Amino acid sequence: MDTLKLYVKSMGMLLKSQLQYPASFCLQTLAQIVMEAGELMAVLLLIDRFDSLNQWSGGDLLFFFGLMSVTFYLTECFGRGITGNFGNFVRTGQLDTFLLRPRGVLTQVLCSAMDPRRFGCIAVGVAALILGCRQSQVQWTAWKALAFAESVFLGVWLILGLFLIEAVFCIHSVKSVELVNAITYGGRSACEYPIDVYPRPLRILFTVVAPFALTLHVPAAYILDKPMYGWPAWTAFATPLAGAALFAVMYTVFQYAMRFYRSTGS
Amino acid sequence: MPYIEVQDLQKHFIVRKKREKGRLLREKTRIQALQGVSFTVEKGELVGYIGPNGAGKSTTVKILSGILTPDGGEARVGGMVPWKERRQHVRRIGVVFGQRSQLWWDVPLLDSYSLLKDIYRVPDEAYRRRLADLTDALDLGDLLRTPLRLLSLGQRMRAELCGSLLHGPELLFLDEPTIGLDAVSKLALRDFLRRENEQNGTTILLTTHDMEDIAALCPRVMVLGHGKKLYDGALPELLSRYDTRRVITVRYGEGEELPPLPPGCAVEREGENMKITYEQKDLPTAELIARLQSAGPIRELTVQPQNVDHLIAAMYREMNL
Repeated sequence: MDTLKLYVKSMGMLLKSQLQYPASFCLQTLAQIVMEAGELMAVLLLIDRFDSLNQWSGGDLLFFFGLMSVTFYLTECFGRGITGNFGNFVRTGQLDTFLLRPRGVLTQVLCSAMDPRRFGCIAVGVAALILGCRQSQVQWTAWKALAFAESVFLGVWLILGLFLIEAVFCIHSVKSVELVNAITYGGRSACEYPIDVYPRPLRILFTVVAPFALTLHVPAAYILDKPMYGWPAWTAFATPLAGAALFAVMYTVFQYAMRFYRSTGS
Repeated sequence: MPYIEVQDLQKHFIVRKKREKGRLLREKTRIQALQGVSFTVEKGELVGYIGPNGAGKSTTVKILSGILTPDGGEARVGGMVPWKERRQHVRRIGVVFGQRSQLWWDVPLLDSYSLLKDIYRVPDEAYRRRLADLTDALDLGDLLRTPLRLLSLGQRMRAELCGSLLHGPELLFLDEPTIGLDAVSKLALRDFLRRENEQNGTTILLTTHDMEDIAALCPRVMVLGHGKKLYDGALPELLSRYDTRRVITVRYGEGEELPPLPPGCAVEREGENMKITYEQKDLPTAELIARLQSAGPIRELTVQPQNVDHLIAAMYREMNL
């Protein structure tokens, strides 16, 4: 509870410090909106051309896209310390400062950065979600709302876990590894579309290795009343736990890797 | 039992060199940063820790503050092993790195401090008292609402010190705290550190390249070179070993020439002034002055001891650093 309070307070402070440069903040947020709206346009054009993809209608595709956008950019906004700045913390020796305080390193990493410009992207994602629900005439129930909330929440932890892989490499080589981007940013781009449109190797990658399909797609399909692979309804609540599991595994690996941390010179 | 106990501390780093042409693997070099350093520090001591760049000063500080794990040897600070009980340990220490900030760049100091209070879980009452005391002593009152980025270097160092002392640490590590400060700021900083040491009994370990810091603050100094401890004791004693040369500057009334001087004296001319550097043991000062007087009426004569930096340089040379 205490840690959560610290996190909220840190976020407030970071937001305040970002707003010290209002012009830059507005322009960058605008740029983010344009960028993400471009991605949305790609989906809209695809729907316009093909109407549907496998069993998925245009509205369904918008829903998948929106769910991914909202989840991914929430992570980038509130988990910026892990998704964006970790490499710099290692290079500049900021990590030393964290080690000098009586709190967990990961807590402080998360507390040390946020990126409110991503609110623009999140807004685009929300727009896609609303549009998708309208077009597919989703009947919301309490269970569906719960599945949605769980999916987004655990999706955030999943993405943080994936970025932790990169962080672990950073601790060792003091340099970030582009290869990991294939499953983080690559995963985001690929999994804006439902998993069952992909060939088998990709399906395995995004189900077993980076379980976007389990955390986001299975509950999304449940909400759209088109269960993924015909799985029963309870799976929509169970499979997202894969995201939490991945984070837990990476958290353990991260703690282990920190034991071998060697700081940079001063 | 001493407060800090260090026994045979060792640490090495592997540095990868750039790959040479025609080689498949990069060459690795092993750098022995610390090769068996031992010392003890009592509670309430103020110790200076000096040595050339790369001697292992920062490595020692990092091990004692729990950031790095040594390869061998033992260290205890107040009964705890720093790298094994990191969280409990860092609660009681404060660290200031001269070139690294622990405060937040874009927010007012007060916000930074308030966040540090939460990080260290300092009770409200203790925090208020401590902050009032520190802002008073460090003259930060007018700056509390200013963001860090708008502060000058001297102000920033004072702000950092305040931040690292808010939780009332028993032990303070300072890594080159006076680097880049002007004379007034340096003096004020030294006064503050002395006060902190005397009033609150804070043990202070200070690494620096500024010998004036050591001379003004530290009754005890440790010299580190090539990862080994070379000296541990009082500064004047250390200096007296190397303080053998003197410089006399002399000016005559009517442009007289210098009398013949024994070998071993170096003469430099700066306009009318003549600067003579000599070894005291070969040529007693009284004898040299007598000789100089025999050449004609002297208008001005000064005898200077060697500057501390020169002494340290001589010492490093002799110790082969």
